[in-house]
Amino acid sequence: MSTSPRPSPGDDIAIVAVAQTPARRRYADSEPSMLMDLTNQLLAETGLERSAVDFTIAGSCDYLSGMPFAFVSNVDGFGAWPPVYESHVEMDGAWALFEAWVRLAVGDIDVALVAGSGKSSPGNPREIFPLQTDPYTAAPLGLDPVSVAGLQARALLDAGLATERDFAEVVSRSRRDALANPNAQVKKDVAVDALLAEPYYASPLRKHDLPPISDGAAAVLIARGARARELTEKPVWIRGIDHRIDSHHLGLRDLTDSPSARLAAQGVDLHAGPIDVAELCVRYSPEEIVLRRALGLAPGTCVNPSGGPLCGHPVMATGLVRVIEVAQRIREGRARRGVAHAASGPALQQNLLCVLEGEA
Amino acid sequence: MAERAAVVGIGQTKYARRRADVSLEGLVREAALRALEDAALGWQDVDAIVIGKAPDALEGVMMPELSLCDALGAVGKPIHRVHTAGSVGASTAISAATLVESGRYRTVLTLGYEKQSEGNATWALGGGRSGSQGAGGSFAPWIRNYIQRSGAPEHIGWKVAVKDRLNACKNPYAHLHMPDITIDKVKESPLLWDPLHFLESCPSSDGAAAMVLTNAEEARRAPRPPAWVIAHAKRTEFSQFPGRDTVKPAAGVDCAKALYQKAGIRDPRRQIDVAELYVPFSWYEPMWLEGHLICDEGQGWKMTDAGETEMTGDFPVNPSGGVLSSNPIGASGMIRCLEAASQVRGTAGEHQIDGAKVALGHAYGGAAQYFAMWIVASDPEPKYR
Amino acid sequence: MPAFPPVQYRLEYPYTRTTGPIVGAFLTALRDGKLLGIRCRGRVLCPPLEYDPETGETLAPDFVEVGPGGTIVSWTWIAEPSRKHPFQQPFAFALIRPDGADSAIAHAVKASDPAALRAGGRVRTQYREERRGAITDLYFTPEAEAQDRYVPPGKGAVEMTEHLISLDYSEPLAPHRERFARGLLEGRFIGQRSPASGKVYLPSKGYDPIERVRMSERDDVVVSDRGTVVAYTVITPVQYYGQKETEPYIRASILLDGADQPLGQQDIRSIPVAGFRAGMRLRAVWKAAAERSVADVDNRWGGTGSVIERWEPTGEPDLPFEKIMEHNW
Repeated sequence: MSTSPRPSPGDDIAIVAVAQTPARRRYADSEPSMLMDLTNQLLAETGLERSAVDFTIAGSCDYLSGMPFAFVSNVDGFGAWPPVYESHVEMDGAWALFEAWVRLAVGDIDVALVAGSGKSSPGNPREIFPLQTDPYTAAPLGLDPVSVAGLQARALLDAGLATERDFAEVVSRSRRDALANPNAQVKKDVAVDALLAEPYYASPLRKHDLPPISDGAAAVLIARGARARELTEKPVWIRGIDHRIDSHHLGLRDLTDSPSARLAAQGVDLHAGPIDVAELCVRYSPEEIVLRRALGLAPGTCVNPSGGPLCGHPVMATGLVRVIEVAQRIREGRARRGVAHAASGPALQQNLLCVLEGEA
Repeated sequence: MAERAAVVGIGQTKYARRRADVSLEGLVREAALRALEDAALGWQDVDAIVIGKAPDALEGVMMPELSLCDALGAVGKPIHRVHTAGSVGASTAISAATLVESGRYRTVLTLGYEKQSEGNATWALGGGRSGSQGAGGSFAPWIRNYIQRSGAPEHIGWKVAVKDRLNACKNPYAHLHMPDITIDKVKESPLLWDPLHFLESCPSSDGAAAMVLTNAEEARRAPRPPAWVIAHAKRTEFSQFPGRDTVKPAAGVDCAKALYQKAGIRDPRRQIDVAELYVPFSWYEPMWLEGHLICDEGQGWKMTDAGETEMTGDFPVNPSGGVLSSNPIGASGMIRCLEAASQVRGTAGEHQIDGAKVALGHAYGGAAQYFAMWIVASDPEPKYR
Repeated sequence: MPAFPPVQYRLEYPYTRTTGPIVGAFLTALRDGKLLGIRCRGRVLCPPLEYDPETGETLAPDFVEVGPGGTIVSWTWIAEPSRKHPFQQPFAFALIRPDGADSAIAHAVKASDPAALRAGGRVRTQYREERRGAITDLYFTPEAEAQDRYVPPGKGAVEMTEHLISLDYSEPLAPHRERFARGLLEGRFIGQRSPASGKVYLPSKGYDPIERVRMSERDDVVVSDRGTVVAYTVITPVQYYGQKETEPYIRASILLDGADQPLGQQDIRSIPVAGFRAGMRLRAVWKAAAERSVADVDNRWGGTGSVIERWEPTGEPDLPFEKIMEHNW
């Protein structure tokens, strides 16, 4: 079995600045424009010149915008003149953060810019995402994430691990909490009973159990050791990042559980300290139930005070937004230690955890 | 640096226009299993996996790490996927190296692949629209300008095409085996994007290439000599901006400078024994010799013309046959890095350059705007000439 | 002025996938009305895998027929099917464990009433009349609704399966692109001058990427419609699905007077190849206003729609090659 990542002998790495666009149903701005604004914001906040950023890495997905090589234009947003050291993952920005964190741990460079962005508005996500599934046995069925989430929800109900009311409570709480989040797209005070009165869409899921379709982008600056302290008075230390994946074959999985989330939790030593806040990639309300169990979160844990992806889901930035939401709370003194979670694939197939901690 | 990384296993599939005998899973497993076998390791020894591939639209499979993770023994492990256009294979190898160098992961399996026969590369490279120039259509104007700038005679591209295809005859994995290729045949093949003839252009291939990288402690226990990763570098510039030099892109020059500096190489021409350069269109051999400071501006075509880049020359380029002989786009950059590693391990078989101790693996992508390169050596502290 | 309609584009390709021996055997069996599993260390997996999911070992092609009955493990009723779903009226996706298998397969269940669906419920395979050796050859129904139908076996082994992937996208034309398109319809090239550097971008992306500055309408400038060829090639088109071009043509990049980066992808069919060269001075001859179209102008690719009738030499002396070497694009 895979070893947990070992602590690097190098310095700790901290988030020194964060920026996100609000999640919106549709942005007129191009993705590069959004990224340009965020890049400028981060550089202004830290006083860094573009050339002082040693490594840049972004996460995005060509299929969202329907253009092979769409990610190339995003380089316009970060700036690449004079030429820069940069890379790209075709994944959520949270995985770009993982690469940047590993890269800084090598010890020869100090500052990295990490971004995630996506516009879901041009295409039809329900028709695009089946392409993530097995090309021979699932994709031609148009097996979409909503349907798979429905299967997961049903499995939870049948196993007695959740009720439909539990799902609705996740939605109600999230959307109410989102009222305090200027970056959230969907925010309202709606009672659980009103939610339960809605018809099924992919039973037992109702439309409100699904994430909204959103455009958006997010970016962070991270820095190593003493450099982090130079760039901000409130560094948010990355105590660990780990990500794992479950089998792709739904028929081999227990959909009520997330072994990869549990493994990632062990990898980051999630319970080495109190968890003041957990921002989880809950795209479908039942996912919160699965994750709370798999991560072993205590019942009173503050989960998704931002509203989470149920209230704004800029695909490919959503995971990085979770990191930003935790980091912000720590910077504002509302939390000391927290965890951000990112997910990819059907029914929480792949899970990433990032543990963050403020100064002592 | 926390750790030194080394390549201890290499595996490739036979490259072909269409690998009709395998599924996508079968294709990647073929390369991965060979790399593990070469390293005398099993799936259980791998701590993390990094895969790389060019646009998903080439196969119509989105984020393939999700549907391939089981096939690559990744369940329960970290797996992620890099995408930097044509340079992706090398970017992926570099990403894998940094996982080891960080000290956070001990043994990493890295793989690049493409199964282009499932879709159509020209269609995908053109963004799925009609009127696509194909990659050659984008590069041909710059090649014309190189020729005019340097005064190179027209036969240089044809020479490269012949050299790489004949080299490929010594590489059992190569897609194209053209033992009868001649300058005349290249010259007489259809002109696709003036000045590039059909036989000066890369094929479209199915294939996968994999490596196992590990740290120094593990590398010393590997059954075969490791290829030590001495240095790596990546640079990117915009695809278009006022004043851009598309013939000798600044990002390519900067990348080479950063690479050589990290490697402690002061005279790449003499201190590098063999280079696997990403040459999908013949003229990019002299252009990258100049573009990566291996020779002075205007001298690249002379190196080619004088036979210096032949296997028997003093700066062999692409003894594997290069991208001109095999081009599964997502794998091609990794194949360059893998072939460089193979050379310094002494495992390149018939296309081995004798005594190769220091090798360069290189890839470029996009509008010649992405560059990723690494230097590997038979010695963790190479003693350069 | 009426706004431009949203840009619509379709990403479509008929992918042809080689199956390899394991998936191939599975799909061949589907074509022939059978469901196959594969033996794996004492278990039977359906759909069959090429490897043991726990150890990674390659599996021998040790197949066993499973089904036709099966048991529902989980299910979801799809009230509003997408266009890509197997049925266009409400149906269920389900995880189904075929009789004789130890794993479940995700597939579609056609049921007249969702009340029939529950974990533990019994379903049976049903095969479509037209089968092509693909996962869509079958579906499931509740046992009570299942019909017996003779499935004539096909000939030969399935080694390839097709999947037509077709995705539609629609997004509004960005404001600066609208102004650019409107300019083209009016017979003008509208670029943007960076307020930070003074460089003129044409076509503009709405920002100056070097200075990282957004641009707005006040940065719009009209650029001359005459300029210099800075690079070109002659293309003999590659034939591929959806390709409409057939004859060789020049594709040139032209640095218009007043612009700081060249206008690319200008197709030239009216100037003989033999006389064409970098450094030539050309000017755009516009189509009659009523014939101009900007239907192809979108937010990403360059291109100037269909507004230029042709480029023609101005007769001015060429610009020396050294002078244009700054603009190789």
